[in-house]
Amino acid sequence: MSVTEQHFSTHKGRQTSSKRNRRTKWLSALRRDRSLYLLALPGILFFLIFKYIPMWGIVIAFQDYSPFRGILGSEWVGLQHFTTLFANPDFALLFRNTLAISLLNLILFFPFPILISLGLNELRNMTYKRLIQTVIYMPHFLSWVIIAGLTLLLFAKGTGLINELFALWGWPRVDFLTNPDSFWIMVTLQAMWKEAGWGTIVFLAAMASVDTQLYEAARMDGAGRLRQIWHITLPAIRSVIVVLLILRLGDIMEVGFEQIFLMYNGAVSEVAEVFDTYVYRTGIEQGDFSYSTAVGLFKSVVGLALVVIANRLVKRMGQEGVY
Amino acid sequence: MLNVGNRNTRKLNWIISVVLVMSVVLSACGSQEAGQTSKSSGSSGNANDPLEVSIMTITPSAVPAADDNVIKRAIEKATNSKMSIQWVSNNIYSDKLNLTLASGDIPDLIMINDPFGSTFTKMVKQGAFWDITPYIQEYPNLSKGIPDIAWETTKAADGNNYGIPRPRPVTGDSFFIIRKDWLDKLNLQVPETTDELFDVMKAFVEQDPDGNGQPDTTALAAYVSPDDLGWNGNLGPVLGAIENSFIGSNSSWKWDKTEGKLVYRELLPEVRESLQYLTKAYSSGMMPEDLLSLKLTQARELFKRNQAGIIVDKTGTMRKIYADDLKKVDPSFKYTDFYPLTNLNGYNPKGSGYNGILAIPASVPEEKMKRILQLVDTWMNPEVFEIQQFGIEGTHYEVVDGKKVASTEKLTADNASDFNHIVNVIDLPWDTTGETEEETQANELFKKVEAERDKTSVADLSAGLQSETGQKILPELNKKIQDLKAKIILGREPIEAWDTFVESLRNDPNVQAMSDEMTEAYKKRNGQ
Repeated sequence: MSVTEQHFSTHKGRQTSSKRNRRTKWLSALRRDRSLYLLALPGILFFLIFKYIPMWGIVIAFQDYSPFRGILGSEWVGLQHFTTLFANPDFALLFRNTLAISLLNLILFFPFPILISLGLNELRNMTYKRLIQTVIYMPHFLSWVIIAGLTLLLFAKGTGLINELFALWGWPRVDFLTNPDSFWIMVTLQAMWKEAGWGTIVFLAAMASVDTQLYEAARMDGAGRLRQIWHITLPAIRSVIVVLLILRLGDIMEVGFEQIFLMYNGAVSEVAEVFDTYVYRTGIEQGDFSYSTAVGLFKSVVGLALVVIANRLVKRMGQEGVY
Repeated sequence: MLNVGNRNTRKLNWIISVVLVMSVVLSACGSQEAGQTSKSSGSSGNANDPLEVSIMTITPSAVPAADDNVIKRAIEKATNSKMSIQWVSNNIYSDKLNLTLASGDIPDLIMINDPFGSTFTKMVKQGAFWDITPYIQEYPNLSKGIPDIAWETTKAADGNNYGIPRPRPVTGDSFFIIRKDWLDKLNLQVPETTDELFDVMKAFVEQDPDGNGQPDTTALAAYVSPDDLGWNGNLGPVLGAIENSFIGSNSSWKWDKTEGKLVYRELLPEVRESLQYLTKAYSSGMMPEDLLSLKLTQARELFKRNQAGIIVDKTGTMRKIYADDLKKVDPSFKYTDFYPLTNLNGYNPKGSGYNGILAIPASVPEEKMKRILQLVDTWMNPEVFEIQQFGIEGTHYEVVDGKKVASTEKLTADNASDFNHIVNVIDLPWDTTGETEEETQANELFKKVEAERDKTSVADLSAGLQSETGQKILPELNKKIQDLKAKIILGREPIEAWDTFVESLRNDPNVQAMSDEMTEAYKKRNGQ
């Protein structure tokens, strides 16, 4: 840190020079921090090569792309794929399912890690706290394939552990997996179980940085545990919550392809078909690359728009946004 | 804190940065190099040099043959080639294939598992693959060694062959296989009609065939998977086999003599009947309750764990896939208890004679394309093909009394049969000799059943026929059909929902257009 401060001060001294020096200033700044820039170079190259260059691939959404002819040789069709998508009778269904699962995620899943972190933060016994943290982090490291397998083992109607228990107690067997009524809530709970623990990391880190004197002062004023949470901890992590919420809005059209794909079956298709699975089916299985790119692009545009709008709103409300 | 302004540390910073950057640059170079060698599409120069060819195909093995595999080396030597083979797992082949086709960077010889899949058909139309029709005659093994039915059924819409079919026997196609020991225990006969099958299934569920005193058996190891769309009424191999037995055909089309046209399968009244049958069977517990959540491997598990009495599979799958595992649970099980049915309602399916085709992309120059055809042709010669059958003398087989006796274990260890997924020869007489007396008996039984089946088996009359409208509407339609059928079987929707659906199909102009196009293609092929 001291090196930047040092340079900053010498830099300031030279700042009196006129505009024509801007270029040399830029160069000298470059030379001065060359090691930092060099360190950043791999990262910049990574984003250029793997994120920005492939982005040009989205032009195939406006083409009748043929891998044989390539992007340059394929025929341009304008917005045809988008009109096909909007005219598709299943479009409303896709939109509804995607939004429903996302909103459930937002309402149930999003606050959950915050609640857990608040609880964990109140724990005074460190060993106990670490133990709980380790246990709830664990599902994050399991792949969706394993989780889908576990779900089947637990919830299957015929052989699932829970239904076996129900049968033992003389209760009727419950159809968890092939029931359209419970599909949304099942996938939301599943996602919560897998990721909520992992989600606490950011919040716990934010809470750790709260000045303990604030709590002491509050205790002196007679504030109880809940009061302290409400007036100190929550306001302290507000900006983190807002930032994560905005980022979450950007993903509103993505509901986790793997999870839905693995939980998908014929009986729940009308509630389980989302944009991601649709893109997979049309793009990979049917080889309709242009169309599925158009669907993916539409999805991303909606996500981007939501982030921009939410960010504006948040800033207008006096909070700090993402950018 | 470190004093970062220090000269030495700054030097250190420099070194760290340079090392980091270098490592990125180097790794990028490395991957580029690897990409180039795997392509190997360059000309092989002299015609006597080994032919460099890249191949992509399925592997059934968990660990595919390595580059220096002894059997691969022996085949390369015999065919004067240098192959770089990309083995892809069976489970993900369709996806991997579509991605490879989309990338445009296609291996010189690529296995297309469904020559009528939409991506491949589209690309063929654009001229992305060699039409090998004019060349076939020059290669005796290709023209004579591969059955006509396989060449015929893999013809593209324009009547040309865009790949070498991988021949498979037309007998022994997937059909019902039943636990004979369970039948005997419950004093039941081998079922010959769907009604008898129903009684057997009922007994398998209710009469405790495994004799453990628990009602823990199901009859049919069934599952319905979105992977099976477009196959056997979209219900997949197991439930589809029942529907096919009702219809008496595994075709999606039936020839209507009075009207003189092809009728779309789903419009047939037999489909409704079979749906009612399946609904009743499901509600009576004759198949797993979690039918829709199960995958192929899990359904197989039921049979292997002594919990199901009937499966649908190829006759030849016995030992490798099922019986040896089942023997661990039920030691009294004999290979001959793995009993394939001959007929149901007088029907059994005839195979299409092929399993995928080997296509050559048009980017391969003509000379090289001819050499690749030559490679496959030479590979089909008995002395070359025997390498993957028997392996190498001294390592995999010994000659005893003038006969080659191979060790299955050593051949499996060296992935010998994986090479069948590139080139396979099928006209060899079926050798029933197994490693044990029991296996020989089972093989003889299977051979007898297949010979019996051959007399009545029904081929798919629409195999190889295509309709442009169908290509457009079928992917979505097949999915709708599977979903609705599944819901009816599960009892979520009444059978009347099917009637409504069929009515809407009948009035759908797209379905009518598809039927017309198919009828036309059928007439054209049959010279009417």
